[in-house]
Amino acid sequence: MDPQMLIDTTALTDIPAPHWFVQFFKTLGFALHAIPMNLWYSGILVAMLLAAFGPSAAKRFSARLMMQMPVIVAFGVNLGIVPLLFLQAAYGKVFYPATILIAWPWLAIVFLVIPAYYAVYYYAFAIRKGPEALTWRHHAAGWGAAVVFFGVGFLYTHGLSLMVRVDAWPELFMAHNQAGAALGTATNLGDPTLWPRWMMFWGLALTTTAAWMVLDSAWMGVREGRAYRCWVRRFAPVLYAVGFVWFAIFGSWYVFGTWQASVADAMWSMPNALLTLATGAAGVLPLVLMWWSKARTFRRWQATAIAAAQVLVIGLNAISRQVVQNIELRGYYDVLAQPTSVEWGPLVMFLVTMVAGLAVIVWLVAQAVRASAHPAV
Amino acid sequence: MHFPWWYVPDLTSPMLIAFIAIIHVLIAHYAVGGGLFLAVETGFAYKTQNSTYLDYLKRHTRFFVLLTAVLGALTGVGIWWTIGLASPLATEVLIRTFVFGWATEWVFFVVEITAAFVFYYYWGRLPPKTHVVIGWIYGGAAWISLVLITGITAFMLHPGGWLEHRSFWVAFFNPQFIPQTIARTGGALLLTSLYVYLHASLTLKDPKLRDLIGTRSARPALLGSILITVGGIGWYLRLPESAQAVLASAAVLNVLIAIIFALTLIVFILLYLGPYRNPGWLSPGFALALFLFGLAAFSTGEFIREAVRKPYISYNVVLGNQIFPKAVPGLRQGGYLEGGVWPKAFVSMRFPEVIVDGKIDRSRLLSLPPEDRLLVGETIFHYHCNDCHATTRGYSPAGPVLTGRSRESILELVTHLDESHFFMPPWAGTEEEAQLLTDYLVHIAPPRPGGMIHREIVSEQDP
Ligand code: HEC
Repeated sequence: MDPQMLIDTTALTDIPAPHWFVQFFKTLGFALHAIPMNLWYSGILVAMLLAAFGPSAAKRFSARLMMQMPVIVAFGVNLGIVPLLFLQAAYGKVFYPATILIAWPWLAIVFLVIPAYYAVYYYAFAIRKGPEALTWRHHAAGWGAAVVFFGVGFLYTHGLSLMVRVDAWPELFMAHNQAGAALGTATNLGDPTLWPRWMMFWGLALTTTAAWMVLDSAWMGVREGRAYRCWVRRFAPVLYAVGFVWFAIFGSWYVFGTWQASVADAMWSMPNALLTLATGAAGVLPLVLMWWSKARTFRRWQATAIAAAQVLVIGLNAISRQVVQNIELRGYYDVLAQPTSVEWGPLVMFLVTMVAGLAVIVWLVAQAVRASAHPAV
Repeated sequence: MHFPWWYVPDLTSPMLIAFIAIIHVLIAHYAVGGGLFLAVETGFAYKTQNSTYLDYLKRHTRFFVLLTAVLGALTGVGIWWTIGLASPLATEVLIRTFVFGWATEWVFFVVEITAAFVFYYYWGRLPPKTHVVIGWIYGGAAWISLVLITGITAFMLHPGGWLEHRSFWVAFFNPQFIPQTIARTGGALLLTSLYVYLHASLTLKDPKLRDLIGTRSARPALLGSILITVGGIGWYLRLPESAQAVLASAAVLNVLIAIIFALTLIVFILLYLGPYRNPGWLSPGFALALFLFGLAAFSTGEFIREAVRKPYISYNVVLGNQIFPKAVPGLRQGGYLEGGVWPKAFVSMRFPEVIVDGKIDRSRLLSLPPEDRLLVGETIFHYHCNDCHATTRGYSPAGPVLTGRSRESILELVTHLDESHFFMPPWAGTEEEAQLLTDYLVHIAPPRPGGMIHREIVSEQDP
């Protein structure tokens, strides 16, 4: 059966924004979401390992990261709204069927994240009082959260890779239905891109964790003392390098082992080839910046440059991912061919609110920074 | 139809939405009202230099953040997940119509969580004035997010002029918007006081402070009950005529409405006599009773809000069987299965013999062997009926209500679905499809139970 047949073609209300706008916010939103998401995706696992096996400075980093984690998760979840909203505005015709076929694993994300997030809080409240306050229950909660978030990453890759694999739908549908109604029990485990994508992203997440470690030690962790910052100076480049090698291995598997000819042709021809190469190699930049100076600790300018470079790395990944997604879908469904009739009023309302909201957030953060200078009363 | 139907045995997939939505609503209203409570009360505590009250408020904030920023936020995500899975067509239309409404709401969410974290984590380190201002920023942002989402949910009950003018503003400022905003604001105030009472009565020993909290929080709660009533009446008056009729015609709903009014009245009287007049009454048992009454009223309200939408998911926009109203004549002509992307695909893969020239052949459907007719009948059931009916047991199951009915009478019901109950969608298939669905319904309907003497008399007389 022609999988094309499974894509609805009924005309809907037009997309109320220009395509470039949807593509821009979907990609930007994903990149912004990826920053905090990376920190829980592999950061919690790193924190647990360091807490268990690391020297005292490593344990300190672990504690710092876990104390920040409730806030990180809150922002990560929140920033996930943006890409998902714009995804559904333009990709609904392929997003809904794919997720319905795997409804139970997809819905599981929500029910897994709730207890994992509480576990993070549980651990974070205890570690604030110092490592002595941790009981086996806290350790179990921390490890549980690490494993669950790792698994949730898998479930996302699992769902979003099925979205572009329309050719797999007929078989999955016929194998998991009750009289033509989807049972929601299908899985996309047969997708060759699934494993390398999941693992590749995990490597990227490790590098983000390393970059965060640097930024945190230079800006927020100044009171930690020199020994701690010297440890960060030594450890962060190693962690980054491990993540980058991991990313390179699974990225190569993904690109050279699983890309279909249409994707490979498109991504290796100019100008996309530049994007492909840049995405693969970008991690070198933060790494070089980490090894740049001989100083025993990271300077603030250096940490800021490393963080900015990491944002670039994540941004390039998000852009490539978007380009590949559209190419993979093109054979079945041309997202960019859907009619749009732009509603400028609400669009401007959103942009103006965003700028105003950003200003309020800057003010709020400034109050927090000022307050940190005061001791608690 | 446009998308695969997600079959959840017994429960039905839309009930998953309801299940998560109820939890979310009970927390989300507190997330709004609680912000206003914290802003007003920290201001008061600073002004009166009441440090024990400030200590309490800090502990309350911790409870508040843990409940709203985790369970509240993630059940919100859960609603989004389940509506996409169980009502994809309506979700797609809503997202397209309101994408900027949601995007704007998201901005307020970010402001909210930033403010909440600064408010909590920097407690005692911020100058009092700044601290209170941050509380207000949280409360204000939370209330605006309530207003924004209410415009969208209100649209689902009444699209107003949107069917003629497909613009965001027309959709957003629909006839239900203002009454629902009033009612939800009231709900946020009332529910928050009930949370506060429960939390305070369980965690506070100091009777003086408990009395203070009792009296102070009674005022917004009383105001909240009044707003709920005013908003509720406006809601009813501005319902589409047919949705008012649903309320009038369904006995269950009448009882539920009566229950809500009774519950609200009870809560009002208890609030007045209790915390407002005699704050000493505020024992954990009393607070718990109030809280449970409040939850019951809220959950019933949400249930009714869902029920009056029938036969629509989004009023006059998407029908309960996941089709657009304007599609009905075409489906009656060309066939429900043929007109649906996924049922068509299923039939063509499973029964290629009924496909002629790429189309489902109506007469060939009827010549399928009996067990295959049953299967196709079940397909039609899932796509046309399962949104509101489970099969043989569970949520409003179709089998049991058809107990003992003759084939002719079932066929009659199917082909006159919206005459049997005007809150069911119209039959949207061919005669042949009605036959197949009837096969299936006859199959799942239990036979008429024996033991009623008049049946024997009648059947003797009329062989
Ligand atoms: C939009 C929701 C909705 C859809 C779709 C729907 N129904 Fe109903 N149906 C209802 C409601 C509500 C009732 C009343 C239930 C009650 O009173 O408890 C009802 C009642 C019934 C009854 C009991 C009739 C009676 O005389 O009391 C039958 C039988 C029934 N539906 C069959 C069907 C069949 C068959 C389909 C699919 C072709 C269908 N329904 C589709 C909402 C729906």
